[in-house]
Amino acid sequence: MLKRLPQKNLECLWEEEKLIKIVKRDQPSRAIFFLTPVLAIFLTLFAGGLIFYILGFKPFEALKFFFIVPIADMYGFSELLLKATPLCLIAIGLSFCFKSNNWNIGAEGQLTFGAIVSGGVALLFYNQEGFYILPIVILAGAIGGMLYASIPAILKTYFNTNEILVSLMLVYVSKLILDYLVVGPWSNPEGFNFPETRQFSDSAKLPILFEGLRIHAGIFLALAAVVVSWFVFYKTYLGFQMKVSGFSLKTAKYAGYKGKKMIILVFLISGACAGLAGVGEITGPIGQLHREVSPDYGFTAIIVAFLGRLHPIGIIFASLIVAITYLGAETAQIFMQIPKYTGQVFQGMILFFLLASDYLLFFKIKFTGLKK
Amino acid sequence: MNTNLKISNITKIYPGCIANENVSLEFKSGKIYALLGENGAGKSTLVKILSGVIMPDKGEMFLNKNILKLNSPLDAKKNDIGMVFQHFNLFETLSVFENLIIDSDETKENLREKIELIMKKYNFLINLDVPILNLSAGQKQKVEIIRCLIRNPKVLIMDEPTSVLTEQETSELFLSLKKFSEEGILIIYITHKLKEVMQLCDEVAVMRKGKLVSVSEIKNENIESLANKMVGQNLKTIKKKKVKISGDQLIKITNLNFISEDPFETNLNNINFSVNRGECLGIAGISGNGQSELFQILSGEIISDKNSIEFNKNYIGDLNPQERREYLMAFSPEDRLEQAANPQMKIFENVALNNFKSSNFFKNGLINENKIKEHAKKIISNFNVNTDNIELKSQFLSGGNLQKLIIGRELITSPDLLICFNPTWGLDVGAINYIHETLIKINEQDKSIILISTDTDELLKLSDKISVIHKGKLSKIMNAEEVTSEKLGVLMGGGEID
Repeated sequence: MLKRLPQKNLECLWEEEKLIKIVKRDQPSRAIFFLTPVLAIFLTLFAGGLIFYILGFKPFEALKFFFIVPIADMYGFSELLLKATPLCLIAIGLSFCFKSNNWNIGAEGQLTFGAIVSGGVALLFYNQEGFYILPIVILAGAIGGMLYASIPAILKTYFNTNEILVSLMLVYVSKLILDYLVVGPWSNPEGFNFPETRQFSDSAKLPILFEGLRIHAGIFLALAAVVVSWFVFYKTYLGFQMKVSGFSLKTAKYAGYKGKKMIILVFLISGACAGLAGVGEITGPIGQLHREVSPDYGFTAIIVAFLGRLHPIGIIFASLIVAITYLGAETAQIFMQIPKYTGQVFQGMILFFLLASDYLLFFKIKFTGLKK
Repeated sequence: MNTNLKISNITKIYPGCIANENVSLEFKSGKIYALLGENGAGKSTLVKILSGVIMPDKGEMFLNKNILKLNSPLDAKKNDIGMVFQHFNLFETLSVFENLIIDSDETKENLREKIELIMKKYNFLINLDVPILNLSAGQKQKVEIIRCLIRNPKVLIMDEPTSVLTEQETSELFLSLKKFSEEGILIIYITHKLKEVMQLCDEVAVMRKGKLVSVSEIKNENIESLANKMVGQNLKTIKKKKVKISGDQLIKITNLNFISEDPFETNLNNINFSVNRGECLGIAGISGNGQSELFQILSGEIISDKNSIEFNKNYIGDLNPQERREYLMAFSPEDRLEQAANPQMKIFENVALNNFKSSNFFKNGLINENKIKEHAKKIISNFNVNTDNIELKSQFLSGGNLQKLIIGRELITSPDLLICFNPTWGLDVGAINYIHETLIKINEQDKSIILISTDTDELLKLSDKISVIHKGKLSKIMNAEEVTSEKLGVLMGGGEID
């Protein structure tokens, strides 16, 4: 016989003694959404200090060398902006891809290819001067990046390939193309076989902003990208369509949006940004194409994009923070004799702790206290 | 074999809702128990607790007087509790036998022998060596049941097992369940279908809003009494009035074929039908027989031959959904969360998905937020969506409210034709009633509906004409008065009637 059992007092049953309880959140908290990156940074500093301690350094001093000393003077600060510029630019482009669930991992390749195309154009004008040269060079870089990004995009939309693999592998292709060009056909005829091209003419270079510092006009490209991307994504019909297509292609199709075109478009935007970053790298202080145009900015920008929560303003801050790790690694190498790859350790830790603290978006920790 | 399963004071609290509150029940073998309730009443939570998927916050369970603590589904298996979920957990591309051997520790030969014995005993006819994707829904369910039977379960829990079955398959299932019960397996049958409870079960426990509201024997109940207990109020019945309709032809589909590249989709074969103004054409069928493909072709998500669809004297087969909307068509797809709306977007953003040139949501490529918000507010008040915050993310709307929002969004532009696919799927009775009333109202305003649905009762209630889709082919179109659910059942299963 099925019958209702007498109801017992709720309290006395089933109480396990737990000091800490993990409880699911009703809804992801907005404040936590922007606080977890901060938390991740602090955890990174803490873990970094710990690593320095284990290596036999004084943790605070080491962290000071890593994060404070490099930006203590004007030169250091300009270097910070110099490194943050490509990171910010690429991350802005990547945010378009990532927001719409397109996993473009190959920004490094798009940067390299953008640098190749714009470098090639700049070399055409190597003995000419003129106001028109720089815009053409910049445009060429953006187009180069777009062309290179269109490969994974088209393969994804029309042949169902995985964009992660394709874009990643293309990075190495572009680096080898660059290598071939600077060693072979494009190498400087008067360069004693160094693996680099001629110097570009001054008209093909981005102007340096302050005498004696290396920061150049590329920073305005990055800032423009921030503003434009914010406007496009939050204020235009195009941005709305990208947003919908990113959440669900089925919804996009139902609404009558052209989902496939959206995919290609976000790749093109992302490629253009990476290409522009490539332009900045070669037409800035260096002024020529050489073997290593980028110290993996394209990969690091992935971390920047996520650390900045794919939001334009967040990305600005994230790019500054991550840029410090580049500078810090160099100072640490000079003053503490630690390999500069420590910088990558820090970048890895930031991403690691960010992913870990994202757990807090959906769960909260409750301290219940000891019960007798 | 006497089994006694007792649960006492089970409480499970989710953020923002109490899924189960002090639920205490006792089940004994030899009987079939129904657990009845609307969606969201807490049935599924209780079942998940019983099968070890989730753990209760408070309360205890006893199996034959021994305390039963289930930390995982594996524990449930160890304690001989078998569970058949509403959605099948089978690997489509593996064979039946491969699916069965995955979680078994017996040798192949032993297992095969055992399975064949079970199939013989209960008269199941399934070829063990064909891949699952070739089976009908009823057969897939049998595979799931066999999977439980291999372990000689003491308790068998069935979660809404008939939602994908035809009438005939349902009665077969009921026969088997009765046989299991005679053999001493304790059966707990979860459903919101009252007819099935009356047909099959011995005792019924009704849940509402997480609480147990009544426990009684079936012989003391009838459909109305159970319905009222389930909903907690007296339901008004809706009837469609016969109104005089103008009868001009609105949409005509001619020689529509669709061949899919995707092996999991159904090809459509020479579809022909037409719908007049003020008419509701119901398309019945078991899910997976081409309904989704037909819907997508009608909505323009799949483009077809230009001349295959004639709407209001225009050929529109090659237009996309947005372009078709300009001709005053509206669409309400089956999948509310993945397709018709996006749960992560705000309510007003979801409203903007149905976008006309004349709606002015987007001007010169910019988002006209004020216009969209104004429109969203109108929908919310006109269609009884239970919220006043259009900035709310849609995921916080209940299924019923979200569906009202979607139907409202589609109807507020007063389209000539609404195409809807399972519009009341998974909704509670109150919301279903509202949607049904709304659909009837549209017909009364001389607007037309194409209603693709797997719910036969709904079709019989709302349609003027009914056709059945089976394996991508449409049956002849019948007047709704001539049709009975039995007839539909035969057609849905691929049979013939005269």
